[in-house]
Amino acid sequence: MKLKRRKRNGTLITMTPLVDVMLILLVFFMVTSSYLDLNMIPMVDRGEDVQNPTQSQGNVGATLLIRIGSDGQARFRGQPLGVAALAAAMQETPDARVLILPSGFADVQALVGVIELATAAGVTNLRVVRLEGAGG
Amino acid sequence: MKLKRRERPAPQETIVSLIDVVFFLLVFFMMVGRMDATSPFEVSPPVSSAGEDMPAGGSTVSVGLDGQLALDGFEMDTEALVDRLAAQVAQNPDLFLRINAHGQARLQKLLPLVTRLEGLGIKDVVLVVTPNPS
Repeated sequence: MKLKRRKRNGTLITMTPLVDVMLILLVFFMVTSSYLDLNMIPMVDRGEDVQNPTQSQGNVGATLLIRIGSDGQARFRGQPLGVAALAAAMQETPDARVLILPSGFADVQALVGVIELATAAGVTNLRVVRLEGAGG
Repeated sequence: MKLKRRERPAPQETIVSLIDVVFFLLVFFMMVGRMDATSPFEVSPPVSSAGEDMPAGGSTVSVGLDGQLALDGFEMDTEALVDRLAAQVAQNPDLFLRINAHGQARLQKLLPLVTRLEGLGIKDVVLVVTPNPS
């Protein structure tokens, strides 16, 4: 006698829960993520000795001072700061360390603008200083 | 004579293409998005073209326009912030710290804070900037 094997129904995998989970994940990532393109400017370098910065930097040459007024205007050697003047000073003294002394009433954008300008002038040794107890 | 309308077979809607699209979108948003704690107040970082690419991870200190402070999305005062960061540095001496300051915030709020953070021994502090579009 020939037995006929009963055909089994194929296991049915429903895709609906998978789609549900993926949609939830999609909405989650769309809502919680931020898509701003942000960059950074180092404020404290890894290799820098924060307690004794002058010792860790070895023998530096001249020091150039850039002041930022409370109105955000930067001045170098008594003149409004320009890339050309700073680049010329850097050519005279390539090892020069540049100090930025901002007023506490200047805003962050002014400081960032001066850092940008100094970078464009080829400054590599840059530090922001402030007067203790002078409101910044 | 009564005509019997022939029943049309229901069109089979395949959801495979939907899954493909959703999966593609999911991977896209996971790749391009950045999951940072948002600050509890408005912060518009300064604009600069001198910035470098910022790595992920670390902690974020937000500085608002009026000097409000927040650490990883939680607003707090200076002392609480310094205490928490001191605890974090004790656990992880190589802590990477971002300062997300409002572009119009006064430096008298920012610079003393940076000095205190340096005093904690944090060696990797960066200022968040928005790239200049021009």
